Amino acid sequence: MASPASVAAPAALLRLEGVEQFYGQKIRILGPIDLEMREAEFLSLVGPSGCGKSTLLRIVAGVLTPTVGTVRMGGRPLKDVNTRAAMVFQSFALFPWLKVVDNVAVGLESRGLPPRERLKKAQKYIDLVGLSGYERAYPRELSRGMKQLVGLARALAVEPELLCMDEPFSALDVLTARTMRELVLDLWASPVVMTKSILLVTHSIEEAVAMSDRVVVLKANPGRIADEVDLRGLPRPRRPDLPQVRETVDRMYALLA
Amino acid sequence: MASRRPASYSVDLGLIFLIGAVVVGLHLGRSSLRPYDAPELDPRPALLPLYLLYSLARLAVAYLLAVGLALVTGQLAARSPFARRLILPTLDVLQSVPILGFFPLAVGFFIGIFHGSALGVEMAAVFLIFTSMFWNLAFGVYESLITLPEELALAAGQFGLRGSLRWTRLILPAVVPSLLYNSLVSWANGWYFLIASEIIAVGPARYTLPGLGSYLAQAVTVGRNHETVLALGVLIATTVGMHLLLWGPLQIWAERFHFEESGDRPRTPRMARVLGRSRLVRWLTRTVVAPAGQEAIAAAGKLLGMWGASGWWGGAFALLLPASLLVAVFKLYGLFVSRPASPELAGIPVDLLLSLVRVALGVVVSAAVSIPLAWALARSTRVRGAAMAVIQILASIPATAFFPLIVILLRWGIGMNAAAVLLALTTMFWYVLFNVAGAAYAIPKQMDEAALGLGLRGRRYLRRVFVPAVLPSLITGCVTAWGAGWNAMILCEYLEAGRRVYQVRGIGATLDRATYVTGDMQVVAASLASMVLLIILVNRSVWDPVYRRVAERYKMEA
Ligand SMILES: Nc1ncnc2c1ncn2[C@@H]1O[C@H](COP(=O)(O)OP(=O)(O)OP(=O)(O)O)[C@@H](O)[C@H]1O
Ligand SMILES: [Mg+2]
Repeated sequence: MASPASVAAPAALLRLEGVEQFYGQKIRILGPIDLEMREAEFLSLVGPSGCGKSTLLRIVAGVLTPTVGTVRMGGRPLKDVNTRAAMVFQSFALFPWLKVVDNVAVGLESRGLPPRERLKKAQKYIDLVGLSGYERAYPRELSRGMKQLVGLARALAVEPELLCMDEPFSALDVLTARTMRELVLDLWASPVVMTKSILLVTHSIEEAVAMSDRVVVLKANPGRIADEVDLRGLPRPRRPDLPQVRETVDRMYALLA
Repeated sequence: MASRRPASYSVDLGLIFLIGAVVVGLHLGRSSLRPYDAPELDPRPALLPLYLLYSLARLAVAYLLAVGLALVTGQLAARSPFARRLILPTLDVLQSVPILGFFPLAVGFFIGIFHGSALGVEMAAVFLIFTSMFWNLAFGVYESLITLPEELALAAGQFGLRGSLRWTRLILPAVVPSLLYNSLVSWANGWYFLIASEIIAVGPARYTLPGLGSYLAQAVTVGRNHETVLALGVLIATTVGMHLLLWGPLQIWAERFHFEESGDRPRTPRMARVLGRSRLVRWLTRTVVAPAGQEAIAAAGKLLGMWGASGWWGGAFALLLPASLLVAVFKLYGLFVSRPASPELAGIPVDLLLSLVRVALGVVVSAAVSIPLAWALARSTRVRGAAMAVIQILASIPATAFFPLIVILLRWGIGMNAAAVLLALTTMFWYVLFNVAGAAYAIPKQMDEAALGLGLRGRRYLRRVFVPAVLPSLITGCVTAWGAGWNAMILCEYLEAGRRVYQVRGIGATLDRATYVTGDMQVVAASLASMVLLIILVNRSVWDPVYRRVAERYKMEA
């Protein structure tokens, strides 16, 4: 069925054009990479260790400038830190000297929000991730899972268009990681959360299949796109024991082998 | 203690700069030396609180300057590879320079600028105290910033922390623990040099600043025992009081700025852990120190944010070094080539050798006494916490306070050679003991139990377990003591006490005589430069390799 042009594929939120990253003069660790991410897409990057997933994510977040190539956010080339994106880190990267509420508010503070609004918004996202009551706690008093919840709230609180997550669940135990995955999917589907585009770096194929609309597979030396799998046809929720899900996971393992 | 860094040949660059700075100082300083008329200090004990206040003010000003500049330099070195290449070698050289030797030059320089007014002398004193406080703070800032967790620094960037906000939320909190730890060292140094810096003599001119240090020095020189004891009492009470009421609470407050290490208890310094049991200290921490600390961080962040906003400052700062280097070489040329060489120059190698023997002896004795003492302290589980706190406090009592004791010994006729080494030991010993005792306490319990299981006791335990375990810290302590020893030589190879001059041949005495008696700038420059060269040479060719080998072989696996 033909659809009118206006309803066709949503506009590209993020575009990488010929992005390459070098260390020193000669060693290319990444690229060239061309990649497009649609509005409201859940995209996962998988690949072997050291293939440059974190590097790519840092380039997208604007904390690392690629040696060659352009990153476009909503059509405009990225010059500095990507303020329309926010990041969740594998090691949580919380400020140990700030209380939970101040950790969550840190991005709002740098965006110049007045203290009252900062507090209100921080509280909203603390409640959303289910950490109500822990506002005055210091990170060291929290479990790992709770720390990552703070990391998630901190990223969501700046209401970014794009949420970047670098192996956010790999420092957590299996059960906590599963709960966190479900929480992220719930928030992604919830109308209260503004952020609808998610870029997830993971080395777990099961995780990528369970969560994403599309999976980009990278290969190493230098990091390049090896393959791409569209998972929009796979119905949600994707319980791991469903035959369709199992089959997709197996297919992807074959692809990576 | 700042850990040893690998050797770098760009150190030579810093070295040349350093010699240059000396000579520039010489030149400027000599231009207008007019004695600042200082009457003798009023010796009434009732004035002691006032003198103490003066001294504290000098120390505080110097300390604030040192912290501010340490933050700026440390941050610059951590952030920019270009600045790092200029700053680190320079700091490394400068910190191994015996500060006391530069004192007359600094005095000359500041008095020259202020045309012999009291302000010039005051500035010179503050500057000297500043130089004794600065290096370890700067290295501390640098080291804690380059060991900042990578993702945390990334997060700060990604969430847009810049300028003041970056300082208050990331940099300042991250450096607080190391800044505090190094502040203890800095203040101990500051007290040590305060006493030397309040009585200033250059050539025939003599300047006295009112303060606790000058009071003490005057009492010793004139031989008034009653006042000496009184001033010493005030000095010791003040340093101990500051530990209990300021540094202790600050360290307890700073616990929140430590990064977690999985499984470990918080890395609170022992003294703070002991003090933390006191109600008064806890109350002070909660109601005074913690809020004041937060305020200080916020205020400093605002200030430093303004500095960081203009990036070219950093470049100018880093370029200043090579520029002064050029001027320096030119001046040095003038000093030695345009004038006939002073006859005293020929004696410098022998002087240097004699002092070297004294310093080396000091290091050996310190190590030899520290090891069994630390062993004994570590074995008695009941006193170890308290003992470490006591050592820390004792170490902060400036060695210059032992001065009168040595003078008494001299009068009993122990001989100037022994007195010089003894006086040097009063500084050197603590550094070694402090490091060794710290390492001894850190020996893992399992290792002790395993040794016991293998039947390692007594001397065999000492040789097989204890010494290897404390060796890296022993070396660190010895390196620090070695540096301090040279300062001590300047202080104690040439003494004035009870209107008599006691001296023994050595580079310190030669330097002192040239500065205080003859005013021969050639000898001053030559003895300083040769001393610095020797120190750096030994650092590079002995301490650095030894430390590296020991650190590799005896490091505790984490
Ligand atoms: N500072 C650096 N200097 C030199 N090489 C680096 C540096 N940082 C990263 N690399 C290299 O870049 C490559 C990509 O690193 P990156 O961290 O992006 O990989 P990754 O896919 O995230 O790996 P992992 O799954 O282990 O997290 C690696 O081979 C790494 O060795
Ligand atoms: Mg990675």
